[in-house]
Amino acid sequence: MFLSRWWNVLRARLRTLLKRPSVETELEKELRFHLERQREENVARGMSADEARYAASRRLGGITQIQEECRDMRRTGQLESILSDVQFAARTLIHTPGFSAAIIVTMAIAIGANSAIFSVIDGVLLKPLPYPQPERLVRVFLNNPEYPKFPLNPFDLKDYRERSRSFESLTDSVNGGSLNAIGGYARDDLQLSGIDTPMRLTAFAVTAGFFHVLGERPAIGREFSTRDELAANGHVVILSHELWNSRFASQPNILGRKIILNGEPYTVVGVMRSGFAHPGNDYHAVAYGQRVDVWVPFPFRDNPANRGSHFVDGIGRLKTGVTVAQAQADLNAVMAQMAREHEGDRGWHVRLTPLQSEIVGGTQRLLWTLLGAVGLVLLIACVNAANLLLARATIRSREFALRAALGARRSRLIRLLLTESILLSLIGAALGGAIALAGVNALVALLPSDFPRAGDIHVNAAMFLFTLTVAIATGILFGLAPAWQGSNVDLRTSLHQSGRSVTSSAGVLRLRNSLVVSEIALACLLLIGAGLMLRSFANLLDTNPGFRPTGTVTASISLRSPSYDYAKPESINRFYEQLLLRLVSTPGVSAAGIATDLPWTGYDDNTGFTIQDKTPPPNTEFHARYHSASPDYFRVLGIPLLKGRFFNAHDRKESSHSLIINQAMAQRYWPGEDALGRRITFEDHPKESDWLPIVGIVGDVKDTPASDGAEPAFWWSLPEWPYMDVSVAVRGRSEPSVLADDIRAAVHALDPSLAIAEVRTMDEIAAKAYSSSQFALLLFGLFALLALVLAGIGTYAVMSYSMNQRSHEFGLRMALGAQSRDVFTYVFRQGMKLTIGGTAIGVVSSLILGRFLASLLYRVSAHDTLTMAAACFVVIATAALACYVPARRATQNDPMNALRAD
Amino acid sequence: MSKPSDLIQGTLDLLILRTISLEPKHGWAIAKRIEQITDDVLQITQGALYPALHRLEQQGWVRSEWRTSETGREAKFYSLTRAGTAQLKRELAQWERLSNAVGLVIRMA
Repeated sequence: MFLSRWWNVLRARLRTLLKRPSVETELEKELRFHLERQREENVARGMSADEARYAASRRLGGITQIQEECRDMRRTGQLESILSDVQFAARTLIHTPGFSAAIIVTMAIAIGANSAIFSVIDGVLLKPLPYPQPERLVRVFLNNPEYPKFPLNPFDLKDYRERSRSFESLTDSVNGGSLNAIGGYARDDLQLSGIDTPMRLTAFAVTAGFFHVLGERPAIGREFSTRDELAANGHVVILSHELWNSRFASQPNILGRKIILNGEPYTVVGVMRSGFAHPGNDYHAVAYGQRVDVWVPFPFRDNPANRGSHFVDGIGRLKTGVTVAQAQADLNAVMAQMAREHEGDRGWHVRLTPLQSEIVGGTQRLLWTLLGAVGLVLLIACVNAANLLLARATIRSREFALRAALGARRSRLIRLLLTESILLSLIGAALGGAIALAGVNALVALLPSDFPRAGDIHVNAAMFLFTLTVAIATGILFGLAPAWQGSNVDLRTSLHQSGRSVTSSAGVLRLRNSLVVSEIALACLLLIGAGLMLRSFANLLDTNPGFRPTGTVTASISLRSPSYDYAKPESINRFYEQLLLRLVSTPGVSAAGIATDLPWTGYDDNTGFTIQDKTPPPNTEFHARYHSASPDYFRVLGIPLLKGRFFNAHDRKESSHSLIINQAMAQRYWPGEDALGRRITFEDHPKESDWLPIVGIVGDVKDTPASDGAEPAFWWSLPEWPYMDVSVAVRGRSEPSVLADDIRAAVHALDPSLAIAEVRTMDEIAAKAYSSSQFALLLFGLFALLALVLAGIGTYAVMSYSMNQRSHEFGLRMALGAQSRDVFTYVFRQGMKLTIGGTAIGVVSSLILGRFLASLLYRVSAHDTLTMAAACFVVIATAALACYVPARRATQNDPMNALRAD
Repeated sequence: MSKPSDLIQGTLDLLILRTISLEPKHGWAIAKRIEQITDDVLQITQGALYPALHRLEQQGWVRSEWRTSETGREAKFYSLTRAGTAQLKRELAQWERLSNAVGLVIRMA
């Protein structure tokens, strides 16, 4: 009822406002009807016609007066006067195009930048993930003091699936039984052959109900059931929509067809919908939303009692109403049970993290910091606009005095001025929206290639709503102080003052000075931030990564096809040997190597081991990251040998065992000792031949550009541990594109059925690893520059304006004997006082806010003195420039002009 | 002819709402009805009636529509909205309390 009343009220007012002519006619008609009836009554009482009409009119009173009162009663005066305010404001702004343009352009740039950053935040952080009820999805990890987030063991996962109680229950797609919604997925790339050229597919082995956990199902066909998990039934596959499109021409009869993967036939049982997003995984990582081509059932092989190997990523869907903490407690109870049953499960806890924060959590700090920075730019723009409006309010003080004299109340004047400022910011926002449209595309192009959810960033209604809100808020923000000041009219003084000597009151002057101080402080703050980013990026480039990326080209190959048999390593080793031979004999190639992985590509495979004559502290084990490499791999990547030797042709299984370790491993397990010649083993009950001696120690390769050091790591000799998925790296004098062709030619000369993937230079890999710091630096630098320019313009505007106002005073001073140097010093000092005050406030606030930046910095303190000093210098120099011109002009006042003026 | 200020403030609203609570009426009929019932003790000037009607309409208590009147001419008829009915109840209760209180003072003092 309440609502319906307001609806009636609104309708009535709108009608009055929009259909004024008809409302007026109706009123007249209504009153005429009344008059008519009165006249009739009078006639009925026996008056003559004329008399009756006269009496009726007299009785009704003045029609015009009634009409006027009715209009008042309709109370739309407010709305009408707002409309007229807007019209008036628009006219005023058009009359001063330069002034209006200055504010509009400033606001447009600042609002546009804010909206663009907001779009990124909206797409990455705020928008829910594209799965049904995404807030109930959690990632499942193991956790111990050493490894905060560790992949799961497959049989552990199976136990969670059977014993937990906090997860939604889903139907097994073939058996019709029910399962707890916990799924596992593990990267298991496959090679597609039999059609066109062979192709390396990004593939995942997934447990039954994996898609169901995500709230998805294949667009055609079915998903995997527990029956498919049995190794004997495992030769079924689900295709991505994109692969179905590109390789199978979207054939509708694809279901039931056999395709060749790793040389074996797999039956297609389903095709996912287009745009299905991979949830992202950590172990052999494929980031969220990146391309996954096929899914195969996860085969639970091996011995269920073996709980030591961890390589499965876990994901689950919580029951409604169950919190992440409750589910984590539930799984930990299950884990405790399992620890009693299996030794390998001891010492681990289960850790759940919401899927969304798992995917975008790492970018949160950066994005909010950027929004903060660009918000400061907006504040500076507001301060500039406020300053310009204040200046104009002073000029218009007589207009306002006149309005006040004619009866305008102060609130009315404030409203008029606010209408102007909001109109300005709205026009600015409209332009800013256009800037944001272009800006968002530029930002997405600039984003680091591994930035999560970059594909989800779109300009949308949320951005426009944000822009509108910001526009109105800033319009009020920068309009309020000028409106308050401007409306504060003292009738006597304002109207008495004559044309030229309209001066600001002390209050206005103080307000404008504090605005200058605050914008200088803000610019200084941003500049310090940008300086810190710059220093930390320089530090990043400056530190030795542990390898030499330049001049090296790499590619990935996989020998998973029937021609090679893991059980017969000779077949694999022969291929690698011949490949390396072909490569080094290619003109222009100086060295070639093969290894399990390349630096900075996210490889993270670890194993435990036993060290001869050492026992690990209780409840821990010796562990390190393992790799396998051919003799020349280290030379190709420029990883230095610190001690001992590299592998050579004799390091093969049949002759001698050998191991190369990195410095971090030597320091961790043999601190203060010589690690060379020490032996480790991977067997629980080693024979003499199971012990591997350390033959070489190489320099550390940093895990990522920003990490402080390297994880302990060791390399097996490739012929001893012939991995089937490897990276090939060549160094040479030829152009990278030529080297890449050399690799392709050499591989295909040996085996035309092999797919070659991920051909890239080490420089590209390194650039990708730096890109996120580069992105932060670039944007921060851009915002700081913008802030500096705006603050400079603002200071200049205020100084030159107040000089203009006081030209009379300076003329007088000079007429009384002041030298132009004195005037210059006086004016310049005034400006510098404000600048130094602002800089000091900027430095102090940077000390307070520095901790928000700390996590984005590398090897530079958020309180770095050098950066602060440099930023202060730049700010002061800019402000000095901005004060110099007005100060100069002040000295050029002709004393005679000043004296003649009034 | 009493001026609006002769009526206790707000009373005119009450009288109008009460008068049209039974059936929709046009301005002339409202004035006539009040005069009839009170034996011409209360005479509503048109100068007060129409602004009051417009105010009540703007506040959402009454709505208006053009209909053919008893004389065959078009007239603007006012009727209560649902919110108006509730408002009338409130004003009646208010009036009740006020007149009781005034009555008490007059009798006891």
